[in-house]
Amino acid sequence: MHDLIQKLIERLPLDFRILHRQFLLRVIDLEALSIQADVTGFLGQFAGVLIMLSIVHSVVMYVGLESIQDPDARYAFCLHMQHYLIATMILVTGLFTVISWDATFPDRRDVMVLSPLPVAPRTILFAKLSASASVLGLSILTLNCMSGLVVPFLLGMLHNSSWGFYQCLVAYWFTIVAASAFLYCSVLTIQGFTALLLPRRIFLRLSALLQLAAFGLFLGVYYLQPSLTTPAALATPQNQWLLACSPSYWFFALFNQLNGTLPSQLFWLASRAWLGLALALCGAAVSLLLCYMRTMKKTVEEPDLVPGAGSFHFVPSFGSSLHAAIALFCIRSLTRSRQHRVAFAFYLALVFAIALSWLRSELANAAPSALPSDFLMSSFMMMTFAVFGLRSVFALPISLTANWVLRTTQLRPSQVYIAATRGALLLFAVVPAWLLAGVLSLSFRPASHVADHLLILALLGWILSELCLIGFYKVPFTCSYLPGKSNIQLVFWAFFIVCLPLAVWLSSAEHDALNQPFKFAGFAIVFFGIAFGLFDYNRFHAKSAVLYFEEIPEEVITTLGLNA
Amino acid sequence: MLELQNLYRSYRGIPAIENVSFKVAPGEIVGFLGPNGAGKSTTVKIVTGMLRPNDGRVLFEGQDIARDMVAFRAAFGYVPEEAHLYSYLSGLEYLQLVGRLRGLDESLIEVKATQLLKLLNLESWQYTPISSYSKGMRQRVLIAAALLHDPKLLIFDEPLSGLDVVSGRLFKDLLELLAAQGKAVLYISHVLEVVEQVCNRVIVIAKGRILADSPPSDLARLMSLPNLESVFAQLVQQQDTRQLAQQMVEVMRITHV
Repeated sequence: MHDLIQKLIERLPLDFRILHRQFLLRVIDLEALSIQADVTGFLGQFAGVLIMLSIVHSVVMYVGLESIQDPDARYAFCLHMQHYLIATMILVTGLFTVISWDATFPDRRDVMVLSPLPVAPRTILFAKLSASASVLGLSILTLNCMSGLVVPFLLGMLHNSSWGFYQCLVAYWFTIVAASAFLYCSVLTIQGFTALLLPRRIFLRLSALLQLAAFGLFLGVYYLQPSLTTPAALATPQNQWLLACSPSYWFFALFNQLNGTLPSQLFWLASRAWLGLALALCGAAVSLLLCYMRTMKKTVEEPDLVPGAGSFHFVPSFGSSLHAAIALFCIRSLTRSRQHRVAFAFYLALVFAIALSWLRSELANAAPSALPSDFLMSSFMMMTFAVFGLRSVFALPISLTANWVLRTTQLRPSQVYIAATRGALLLFAVVPAWLLAGVLSLSFRPASHVADHLLILALLGWILSELCLIGFYKVPFTCSYLPGKSNIQLVFWAFFIVCLPLAVWLSSAEHDALNQPFKFAGFAIVFFGIAFGLFDYNRFHAKSAVLYFEEIPEEVITTLGLNA
Repeated sequence: MLELQNLYRSYRGIPAIENVSFKVAPGEIVGFLGPNGAGKSTTVKIVTGMLRPNDGRVLFEGQDIARDMVAFRAAFGYVPEEAHLYSYLSGLEYLQLVGRLRGLDESLIEVKATQLLKLLNLESWQYTPISSYSKGMRQRVLIAAALLHDPKLLIFDEPLSGLDVVSGRLFKDLLELLAAQGKAVLYISHVLEVVEQVCNRVIVIAKGRILADSPPSDLARLMSLPNLESVFAQLVQQQDTRQLAQQMVEVMRITHV
């Protein structure tokens, strides 16, 4: 089998294979840095996380279904899981399109480097498409590797026939692939036609905004759309408009149509899926072809240098000039570097996902309610993701060759730089997460409990920031990245094993303390003590710290075992 | 003002520079010449404090720079060989960053940065990202950044690289004015005609060792050669370039092996 695949690959043109690998690296260039551009290694880690999700989905579905005896309730549970899996697949595809934004279209670098070479534009197009399709295909396959078997098996059991299993298997995989293709092609269509219709310079500016808007839209829809998967909800006339607007319900209907379980009055919903898929595929094909015919030419023809418009010149006070330099450097790096923007957006996605799920439940509750323990935990998680997310983005270098300017202008002790980095962490991670939690807690009562929780949350943000600064004697975005240091699997499991139980325990303890003033005071004093202790520890070590711009790998000594 | 004393630096045991010593006095423009790989960059990295020597020391105003690196950094301006900048910043934003890192007052940065950009003919592109700048424009931003804090010592590593004729002439005039104001200038370049015109003294380095240290006219007279280029070729024992070019053409024409 391996030889057959190898032979098939070797039949492909050499320039296509070289470009495919090159573009594959660029689709995922963000983390490839951490494992010496080992694409296989990165894809392995990425696939591992999705496989784990698939296993979790399957176990939840199997256990859930086994615990329900009533046939109607079992059927409703199955419908809910079907929709959940389709919506999750759409979300994962959406996040992939955000991460690989613009990767399918030719950029200036491609045009300038590849145009003088004897490479046909169609080879570039197919290489880019195949690179994106490879990663997307891997996402589909791994996210559904278990659930893609368990769902047909369980639904087949409801059918009471072996044919039911095979029909459901085909229906499931077709629907999942179709839903992914629909979203991916829709985004390509929008990007392609925007690139064609707008002047290139405006398109590039708009593209960054579109990327963030798409990101918010995918998350917002996923977390805010109500669950309408019961037969009654699907038939209610008030819900028809929502069903008609939501692609996840179109493909939910498509799955049931292919599975032979769709009521005839919902055939129109499945037709939307077919129509949407056809339009998206055609739109993507046309826009890509036009882009490769016209945009490459437009890119060459555009002037190299255009005077920039004077920007709004208000600079808020960040304290000393060094604090201002570091804070503005952080803002500009985060907003103007695609890699850093997307990496930070990934963590912000987790923060907003939690926030949006709470917003949905608050919108459903008209009257203010008591502060629940779940909300406390959610706000702790939001703070954790925001702080650790920004800290991990700080570690991604932006332009190592330009760091000489920081080295030759270091006129203050290292502790001042570390204090400026602390300020950036507090300003760009702790404050936004705290404000978001504050807004979300407006509907809870009593207000004193909310204020108490916000105090604890602020102290937690301080503690997390100080934890992030231990040994971090560098200016954000300026230190080289040590290959192999980040391990997605390790981070994923560390989160489940350490952070999650800790957040559960903390929220439970805080919830108990909220009704007992003395206990709460003790709780707050402990938090303050930890925060101040860590602050003092970092401040003490910063006095003798030396700023560094290059990560030095640890020496590895290999013993030969020659001793008898 | 600047004095290098017996600098020695090796990489993995291979010496890059050995026993490098020279002085740059206030008001003096010293040319530092050498072929590729001669040890110029290593010397400059040591002088700017980015690299520590294995042996020897650098004195600035009589003080070892290693003792108070912060004071030394505040006193020099540096234009590196390669125009590496944070390319997502605009020219103005880059100068603001450098000014803030140097602790200049916000209003002073604003005035100096905009005026320097205007004088260097970058006013129209001060808000444009550096990523779209030509090499010469980047070089001009670097020159502006080096002058921003009125340093006592200036280190220019190939400053004319990418500059057009007008900017090149402006730069030569600038060098003379800076020297007249008592600034010490260390000027590293391959453009020997310019070095001959503007430098008071020339130091030639090859294979990590100083081969000559005297005014350009003295060098030519002592070696009985017509100009600095001939002196340089003689000192560093350059290969026969004509013969080398001929060999390159022959390699290019190989069709099969």
